[in-house]
Amino acid sequence: MHTHFKGKEALAHVIEAREKGQIASAEIHGTELPGHYSAAADAAKETALILLVLWVIFREMQEEAHFFAFVFILGYLVWKVGRSAILGYARLERLHRVIEEERWEITHHRGQEKEELKALYAAKGFSGKLLDEVVDVLMADDNRLLQEMLEEELGLRLETYEHPLKQAAGALVGVLGAAIIMSFGFFVLPEWSVIVLAFLVIALSAGTTAQLEKNKLLPSMVWNLGIGALAASVAYFAAQIFLR
Amino acid sequence: MKTPYLFDEFFAANLEESVSPFLTSRSRVWGKNLSLKSAASAATLLAFGFSFSFFNPPISYMCLSLVFFLVGTPALLAAMDDLRNLEINIDVLMTLAALVCVLIGSGLEGALLLVLFKLSHALEDLVSKKARSALANLNNIAPKFASLLDNDGVAFEKSVKEVDVGALLIVKQGEVIALDGIVVKGASSLNLVHLTGESFPLHKTIGDTVPAGARNLESALVIQVTRKSGDSTLTRLMQLIMQAQEAKPRLQYFIDRFGKRYATTIICLTFLFAAAIPFLFAISYFGSEGSIYRALAFLIAASPCALIIATPTAYLSALSSAARRGILLKGGITLDALNSCSMIAFDKTGTLTTGKLACVSFAPISLKPACGIDEALSIAAGLEGHVVHPIATAICALAQERKCEAIDIQDFKALPGFGLEGRVAGMSVAIGLPEHIAPHLIAGIEAKRKQGCIVAVLRIEQDFFLFQFSDPVRKETSALLEKLKDVNKLRPIMLTGDHRQSAEDVGRLVGIEEIFANLRPEDKLTKVAELSMSGGLAMVGDGVNDAPALARATVGISMGRIGSAVAVDASDVVLLNDDLHLLSWLFSKARHTRRIVKQNLCLALAVICFATMPALFGLVPLWMAVLLHEGGTVLVGLNSLRLLHKK
Repeated sequence: MHTHFKGKEALAHVIEAREKGQIASAEIHGTELPGHYSAAADAAKETALILLVLWVIFREMQEEAHFFAFVFILGYLVWKVGRSAILGYARLERLHRVIEEERWEITHHRGQEKEELKALYAAKGFSGKLLDEVVDVLMADDNRLLQEMLEEELGLRLETYEHPLKQAAGALVGVLGAAIIMSFGFFVLPEWSVIVLAFLVIALSAGTTAQLEKNKLLPSMVWNLGIGALAASVAYFAAQIFLR
Repeated sequence: MKTPYLFDEFFAANLEESVSPFLTSRSRVWGKNLSLKSAASAATLLAFGFSFSFFNPPISYMCLSLVFFLVGTPALLAAMDDLRNLEINIDVLMTLAALVCVLIGSGLEGALLLVLFKLSHALEDLVSKKARSALANLNNIAPKFASLLDNDGVAFEKSVKEVDVGALLIVKQGEVIALDGIVVKGASSLNLVHLTGESFPLHKTIGDTVPAGARNLESALVIQVTRKSGDSTLTRLMQLIMQAQEAKPRLQYFIDRFGKRYATTIICLTFLFAAAIPFLFAISYFGSEGSIYRALAFLIAASPCALIIATPTAYLSALSSAARRGILLKGGITLDALNSCSMIAFDKTGTLTTGKLACVSFAPISLKPACGIDEALSIAAGLEGHVVHPIATAICALAQERKCEAIDIQDFKALPGFGLEGRVAGMSVAIGLPEHIAPHLIAGIEAKRKQGCIVAVLRIEQDFFLFQFSDPVRKETSALLEKLKDVNKLRPIMLTGDHRQSAEDVGRLVGIEEIFANLRPEDKLTKVAELSMSGGLAMVGDGVNDAPALARATVGISMGRIGSAVAVDASDVVLLNDDLHLLSWLFSKARHTRRIVKQNLCLALAVICFATMPALFGLVPLWMAVLLHEGGTVLVGLNSLRLLHKK
């Protein structure tokens, strides 16, 4: 057995490689949505929740406290946008490292890559001469082979991810959108509207995410609203306990 | 099966995010020219910061924070990287100076320093990216897989890297030959324009050698592989370009070396002055008259801001001016290199000549042919109208010029590698190689070939007509060469892979006396290297075969329209409209740029000398040192803008 497989069978090596691929490509916002949508939805939800919690804590104080919340959100905006870009770049770096490693393996361990490919297609039900022909066709072109190994061995998908800066722009839109909506509750509409607007933003973000992911709409919205309500209540009662 | 993704560009671009295969195609645009975008954003924010500094300092500071984030963070990372490698250069000095500016409350000056620094780096990046794409383009010509024949004669595809010597390749019409080999079956014409720059088709039959990279124009050929992919003609060309690019003299090396020494000296002197002044004079370490304060003022005054922009701004202005006239220069260093040239070498085909085959003579060989010359031309156009071939194009163009309509041909038949035949009003007609159409006349025709002409014979029943083709010289080339000799004091030379006779004919027409003919790509490279030893050499060419020579020459100049992508990428100057007459203007512009750069450098050094020492002795206050420093920068910038004039 070749050292390239580190004492494992070709198929076991493929399974291990696929796990590596999953780590490299993991969506940083915890969903399978394109990065900029998930970044926007995630950022909007969090911004609405943070503003709600700050309002709950400081609602009995003077109006300056409301401005404090929005000054805080400005800093949060920079952090959220920067974090989204940094995480996006980190993922891109992981993916590029994986593709470079795979290309190196194709160049330096061609025989072993052929064995891996054979194991992959044997597992898919190909056998005998047909299996050899399939493998020969895939091995004929290095571009095709690299794409095959990335997609089949590592389970990666090409041309799927958004640019880190586009993701960051999504986060910017999310934070700004939520902050603008919430500012009506803070400065224009009656006091209770802060809660309504926060829940509206959370519900809309959760609903959009569910819709794009083709998940069930209602449970997703209710769960997100439930978590939001719980967070606000815990903050409210903690403030009652510790700040009075 | 879906089309495989082409990873070559991504790897050639050193895993750059703007071509990342993992990003969606629409999203890649976010990663293009990021360095330049961040420098431009930082410059805008700096302008806001400066404006707000007069009436709302907090907004100004917020803008400056963003500027420091956008351009300061990468500079800090680069400086830390340099320090980790025990290297002190201008990057480190600039970053240190910018940080010191913040510490002493001159954030605006620090930000300006960083923005200018980032801008010059972003422009450098743009230039180097273009240079990197030369090899990627050559790689695109090379087929990645080949069609092989197995023992049963069944074709199958295999990666060229896995094809061994002795394997049989089948190359269909229109395909590019993947590996060097010998023809074992079939006959066809090959176009070697990608390799040699010569657009004339070459006839190849059993026993002839064929190079990888040639395009098969007519019928299928079976080729026995003689060299593995690592040793093929294309791979050797790629190696030659790489060697030539590495061997190229670069003014940049000098600037880098100077920068490192300058930065180390200034930083050492700053620490030395800060520590030693209290021992020599009766002043303290701290306070606005203290040694640390004076040493910091010295560091800022000595920051080579004007020095750094002295050359790039001048080059940028000259480059913009050239671009407006349709000349693309790959970097300002090219302008320096142009100045050092005392010789200019031209490739013949496609450079001094048009590179397009034209029919120069059409006449009957038979004494009293039954049909007239126009009717014969119409028959020839009728036959050639069925195929795509440089000779066919030239014959059809001649027929069109003489208003001879193509005649319909019956029973048309193409004989790959030999010619075309058919019938017209019951007469048998054929056109093609003399060896096939009129073997008994070959002795008389051979003399024309020796003169460098391409020939074709038309047969109408028993009458024969001879076509002669050649590559015409570009208009007004001789006037240009006179100007290059008289005004720019350059010695013209011709380097060509063509026959000596045809090279000498062209040389006589355009006024070039020094001619080197029959040169293969490696011979051209050797000749260019040899000539470069005796002085600066500008090389003008267009074919892939010129690419190594273009890369090796002091300055490589290529033709943008007709030039091959590889030649364009391997060269330093691209004439976008193929207008050779701009060469004289370009050499004059390069001389003007050198004068401006010299003035800029003198001005920048004078400001540094004038500001640093008085700052150290406390004669020039910090704000004055900053003003002198920035004033020098502005003057240098304005002086460079003079190069924007078209003249």
